[in-house]
Amino acid sequence: MNSREIKMSTQNSIKGERKLKSKKTIWFVVVGLMLSALVAAACGPAALPAVDTGEVEAAREAAANAQATADAAVAALEAAAEGDQEARAELEAQLAEAQAALETAKAEAEAAKAEAEAAMAEAEGMSAAPAEPIDITLWSLATVTEAGPPPDDWVAYDIIRDELGINLKYVIIPPGGDGETKLNASAASNSLPDLFQLVTANRTELRNSLFRFYELGLLAPVDDLMPLMPERVKTHYNDPLLIDLVTFDGHQYGLPEPPAIPKREGLVIRKDWLDKLGLEAPTTLDELFEVAKAFTEQDPDGNGQNDTYGIGAFIEGPGVGRRFNYMFGAYGVPGVWNFNAPENFGLNVRNAQFPEAVAFLKKVVDEKVVDPDWPTLNKDEFRARWKQGRFGIMWEDFAALTNKSNYTPFDENFPEAEWIPLPAPTGPNGDAFYDVYVGTGQIFAMSQRAADEGKGEAIARLLEWMATDGYYLLGFGDEGVNFILTEDGNISVEGLDPAEAYNSPERQPYTQMRNQLIFYNTPAEINARYPTYETINGRTMEPMNFLGFFQEQPWVDGRAVQVIPAPDNAADFDRFYSEGIIQFVLGQKELNDDTWAEYLAGLDSLGAQEYEAAAKQAMEEAGLLK
Amino acid sequence: MQHTKTRDAVTYQILVAAFLFVVLVIIVVPFWRVVVTAFTPLNIYTQQGVPFFLSPFDWTAEAFSQLLSHPLFPKAMLNSLIITIGGTAVSLVLTIPLAYGLSNRTLPGRRLILLFMLFTFLFQTGLVPVYLLVTGLKLTDNFLAIILPPAVSVYNTLVMMSFFEGIPQELKEAARLDGANELKVLLYVILPLSKPIVLTIGLFYAVYFWNEFFTPILYLNDNDLMPLPVLLRNILISASFNEYVEFNAFSSTSIESLKAAGVLLTMLPMLVVYPWIQRYFTKGTLLGGVKE
Repeated sequence: MNSREIKMSTQNSIKGERKLKSKKTIWFVVVGLMLSALVAAACGPAALPAVDTGEVEAAREAAANAQATADAAVAALEAAAEGDQEARAELEAQLAEAQAALETAKAEAEAAKAEAEAAMAEAEGMSAAPAEPIDITLWSLATVTEAGPPPDDWVAYDIIRDELGINLKYVIIPPGGDGETKLNASAASNSLPDLFQLVTANRTELRNSLFRFYELGLLAPVDDLMPLMPERVKTHYNDPLLIDLVTFDGHQYGLPEPPAIPKREGLVIRKDWLDKLGLEAPTTLDELFEVAKAFTEQDPDGNGQNDTYGIGAFIEGPGVGRRFNYMFGAYGVPGVWNFNAPENFGLNVRNAQFPEAVAFLKKVVDEKVVDPDWPTLNKDEFRARWKQGRFGIMWEDFAALTNKSNYTPFDENFPEAEWIPLPAPTGPNGDAFYDVYVGTGQIFAMSQRAADEGKGEAIARLLEWMATDGYYLLGFGDEGVNFILTEDGNISVEGLDPAEAYNSPERQPYTQMRNQLIFYNTPAEINARYPTYETINGRTMEPMNFLGFFQEQPWVDGRAVQVIPAPDNAADFDRFYSEGIIQFVLGQKELNDDTWAEYLAGLDSLGAQEYEAAAKQAMEEAGLLK
Repeated sequence: MQHTKTRDAVTYQILVAAFLFVVLVIIVVPFWRVVVTAFTPLNIYTQQGVPFFLSPFDWTAEAFSQLLSHPLFPKAMLNSLIITIGGTAVSLVLTIPLAYGLSNRTLPGRRLILLFMLFTFLFQTGLVPVYLLVTGLKLTDNFLAIILPPAVSVYNTLVMMSFFEGIPQELKEAARLDGANELKVLLYVILPLSKPIVLTIGLFYAVYFWNEFFTPILYLNDNDLMPLPVLLRNILISASFNEYVEFNAFSSTSIESLKAAGVLLTMLPMLVVYPWIQRYFTKGTLLGGVKE
């Protein structure tokens, strides 16, 4: 093919493309006509009852007019398709006109239809409730991810539709980074669901994520909704601090659901080992060290082998992680930030007590009274080890320790053993903090689109129902079938078909919303979730006792951590911060005044001071620093 | 001289064999660990962790039965099969004619088309535009959202194209002389000669669709449509958060065993298919890559 031919073929193809274009526009018109015909058809049945049908007629007429205009446009377009280039501009104008007319006609037809329907409803003496249920899309995490969603014929969907006038579309979204990406993608396309749960890879970023959506104008304020759900506000939205955290520029933009269960972790010790060695439960950090030393050296399990350690832990969180925070708490410096002494807000490492606490932990490591694999263990390995009887003192989640399914393997290995909770050990200066609780909870938000479509009031109706009439249905199921409400308000499954009981695997899809939107940590809920049972040799195990003990300890309120913005070099900063402390503890770097000052200088060179200033400012702006 | 040469060759062979043996060990040991972990019973796991050698009497398939007896498993498996088979079919139907057309060097605008394709290969648009496109086409909650966007892989098309280019022109010309049109040439002359490349590329596509995890999460809101990788992940999340979930369904097996069993289960179908198709591999991709 020579260049001339190519040129010609290009020209041809351009012409062809033009033809194609006009053909495409014709299709537009045809589809538009079909739509208008559909609208007209939909109007037909609505107009049947003997109410004033004039409006509908008028709309039909308008539709007919529009059709005529469109027909003309089509004819003209066909002419254009045959090559008349000049008429093109005119045609396009006509087309636009036809389309506009169509739109108007459609809108009119719809309005007329709605009116006719209202009239019909009135004629039939129906209530004032909207005849058409409102569609509400809800995105939230699952309570039991593996269980799957409730089936389409779930009785709750029917009740929500019939009694609340809401068509609920409930979508379970994945946790962590995947859920965050899903939300972000739908935010980027301005198609956020009506009501949704914020999801982030890092749980303390929830509030910052809410703020980003707010800045993009994607969220609607919920101030007006709060008075519409008085009961829910009392039970779910009653924490002023959590409300503060979701309030921007004087308006509340998030619905802060209560944290799952706050302060749920604690310090525990093997009582059978204490008894065997004739020791008392430690109350100070020094006593704890001595007990740990005895556990390590004096064969507390009596198997004749030197195979036990005093303390068990692994790294979870920044620095050496929160499984050691009670040691830092004894020096008054638990966690990264000094929320316990906010008058001079900043990083705890600035406190002169911090290197002292590091030195104590170094002694624990040097004397080998802690399972030496702690820097490399992961959570599951750590949990396998206490079930193997490797150590006698640890920081653990109450349910991971005492919940029946978790405790049974340990119970089978050591039926005589018993863990008891320990209070916060006191340090050399009399300080005693258990840990910092973050309790970020969960945040739901309403999209601006939902507010624009007038769905706010329906969302409030739904949420209020979930906290009142729908509470038991969504939290446990049907009374008498899936659970029994005892006289003292507790939940029981006695005498029920085990497959129907609310805690059976088969029932999990029906209560997927419970930990996100329903529960607010009443004693009855926690009792139901973590029931009392008997161990193999007949001891009564009450998970609630452990939780209650842990919650009474002196915790530092660190919930404000949510407002602290992560620095741009967060990864570098965190790595330097954590590695430095771990190196001191493991003795890879000598710990003295000079090396500590060096470490602090290293943090400063990574912008520690700016980070602190930004954190302080964010805290002040949120009104959290008094 | 010749003598030393052979000795050198022998040394070389031994070195190569030793090196390959080390590589083999590096591959096999972790795999063996995964297998043992999947079959370790809970009581052994809690007492001593995962042993390197597990007594043959202790092996238990409990983790597998936990996963396979999950009520959502059959549906997820079916979804995965639909996505894999449908996706591979669509991809091949689109890729083969495209590659064949482009393998014709006299095709007008060939360079331009190739440039466009390479451009998308080198510069990706990112997530949001694709998301907008897919939601704009109203493909959410539809398997087409998983299948269509990645249906044509530029890399696979180019590999296939260069394979087609290697087929002697004379064959096509002969077919055309006999009155065959281009479609017939493709169907009756080219494809029978291209089994290796079609199977190879088909396998690439199948592996991709079988493993696809992220786009289902993104585009499918209806949980009934979730494929196997998503279900397995949901199960594992539940298992590893079991301190928060009071009704632990997995009291008879350890989380590590579940994870390992999940890995083996998703790997299995591809592991079975590979040896059947592998003999075409060298012919397929290598021949396709070589140009005269």
